[in-house]
Amino acid sequence: MTQTMTHGRNQTMTIARHGLPRPAGTAWAGTAWAGHAWTGLSDALRAEWTKLRTVPGTAWILTAICVLTVAVGAATAAATRCGAGTRCTIDPTKVSLTGIEVGQAVVAVLAVLMISGEYSTGMIAATFTAMPRRWMVLAAKAAVLTGLVLVVAVVAVAGSLAAGRLILTGNGLTAAHGFAVVSLHGPTVRAAVGSVLYLELVGLLSLGIATIVRDSAAATGAVLGILYVPPVIALFLGSEPAWQHWVERYTPTNAGLAILNTTGLRDLVISPWAGLGVLAAWAAAALLAAGVLLRLRDA
Amino acid sequence: MPATSEIPSVDGMEATIEVTGLRKRFGSTLALDGMSFIVKPGQVTGFVGPNGAGKSTTMRAILGLDAPDQGSALISGQPYPKLRRPLSHIGAMLDAAALQPGRTARNHLLWLAHSQGLSGRRVDEVIERAGLTSAARRKAGGFSLGMRQRLGIAAAMLGDPPVLMFDEPFNGMDPEGIIWMRGYLRSLAADGRAVLVSSHLMSELEDAADHLVVAGRGKVIADTSVAELIAAASGDRVTLRTGSRSEVMTVLAHAGATVAATGRDTLAVSGLTAEQVVARLGESGVGFSEISAHRATLEEAYMELTRDAVEFRAEPAEEEVR
Repeated sequence: MTQTMTHGRNQTMTIARHGLPRPAGTAWAGTAWAGHAWTGLSDALRAEWTKLRTVPGTAWILTAICVLTVAVGAATAAATRCGAGTRCTIDPTKVSLTGIEVGQAVVAVLAVLMISGEYSTGMIAATFTAMPRRWMVLAAKAAVLTGLVLVVAVVAVAGSLAAGRLILTGNGLTAAHGFAVVSLHGPTVRAAVGSVLYLELVGLLSLGIATIVRDSAAATGAVLGILYVPPVIALFLGSEPAWQHWVERYTPTNAGLAILNTTGLRDLVISPWAGLGVLAAWAAAALLAAGVLLRLRDA
Repeated sequence: MPATSEIPSVDGMEATIEVTGLRKRFGSTLALDGMSFIVKPGQVTGFVGPNGAGKSTTMRAILGLDAPDQGSALISGQPYPKLRRPLSHIGAMLDAAALQPGRTARNHLLWLAHSQGLSGRRVDEVIERAGLTSAARRKAGGFSLGMRQRLGIAAAMLGDPPVLMFDEPFNGMDPEGIIWMRGYLRSLAADGRAVLVSSHLMSELEDAADHLVVAGRGKVIADTSVAELIAAASGDRVTLRTGSRSEVMTVLAHAGATVAATGRDTLAVSGLTAEQVVARLGESGVGFSEISAHRATLEEAYMELTRDAVEFRAEPAEEEVR
């Protein structure tokens, strides 16, 4: 049997390079321009935003973040009382923001779904075919997530503080009794702004971890584990103070949640902003590792 | 949007796919072992081979999804990651089922369009051309495989690219759909586009492909036009019906042919053309009642080529069953 074997490169030379001139004013004109990273990034941002708003569930998840955060904060506030005569060290702002610890789980789920949902359906191939610069996809996802969480977190935190103020004052935790009432004073503003940033950073950390892990279930497990297991471990490390101290200072949730405190700052193992910084370092490390792996691994 | 007949080039470069010496190992499996071929504009190139021959991996390497260990894949002269707004250079449909099931067909195309700086108007155009208008606002998860293929085709056509690549586009299509698909592929090539279509069933490519790249075990076994392949596989076998079998065998054997009896009064002759057989028998005065030159079908030619390259000759996979 005769067969024409592969021609390889030599064949390339024989192909006539007689490309027709491209018609002006067509969509093709876009291909002439080269290397404008900003255009690429804005295309990617738009694509990721379109994806997020057209997938069912996003609206529910955002609602859940607000409702759960406010509801848990309000419930905790409602259950908070000080017995008459006893020395009471309650931090009303922190109590009002207790819901952050629950709301963060839903933020994490949102972030995980943004990337793992694509890996589980195989749609990630379409994403990287449309946008071959993978770091740009990750950056666009991070930006869209950040923007959306910002809006939701502001609502959730404001709602929590308002509900907390109303309920705690009703429970007798008033300034007249020596409490730092939830109000627009310095420490409360720090806690409020910090809580919004905290939720943002939890989202970014989750996005990074999910990009590394890829599988939805595994990523959700990994993220929730990192958020909720260290605080439990810290509780059981009472007999090992050095270890306990380390866990409380350097794990994302323990360190990051220091930002909720407005009173008794001297007793904290890490200061509020430093704690948020630790969480930011975790998020940055996760995103960096995710970016490197996206580049190294096959899609 | 440009008229499709104005398509054949990007930036003065001819629209092509050039795959050169691709090697790729997944663990202990050598998926690609020096895969090389060129897809030229203006024709449909069939990419055939048994399952596991490396067709999908090659396509993923062309799209920059899998990084080859060695070798290169260029689209109109450029590696995929260098393409800006790549969907206007090359459109591809790999796995039609790979989409978020809860998103509507239109919204799936919309995010793709936005990623290329294209508008919703372009989305509506490709939806209409793919015949999906009535289903556009339905969730893609509820689509039949055939409808997903159409959605995949619409996605591939979003950027009106001069190069197109379809992985097993006939999968899940009914006979009517297969005929439509063949015509569609031909029309894309007639526009001057370079079209690469993979299939593990040669019969699907009959009447669709002009050129064939036959793959087996991660490399190219044959790179040939459809006409050449059939001619080569047909060889010069001649079938003969005669009442005087032994005389014919003697005469033809003397003439240097290999003759085999295939029935009570039929013989298969190789080594001589039909004309030569007729001449020899005429000279010797031996009679025969029927003579025919054997012509292979595309399927036979392909089976002959891939006999040694079939990695898994097991039960047909589910996707092959229609």
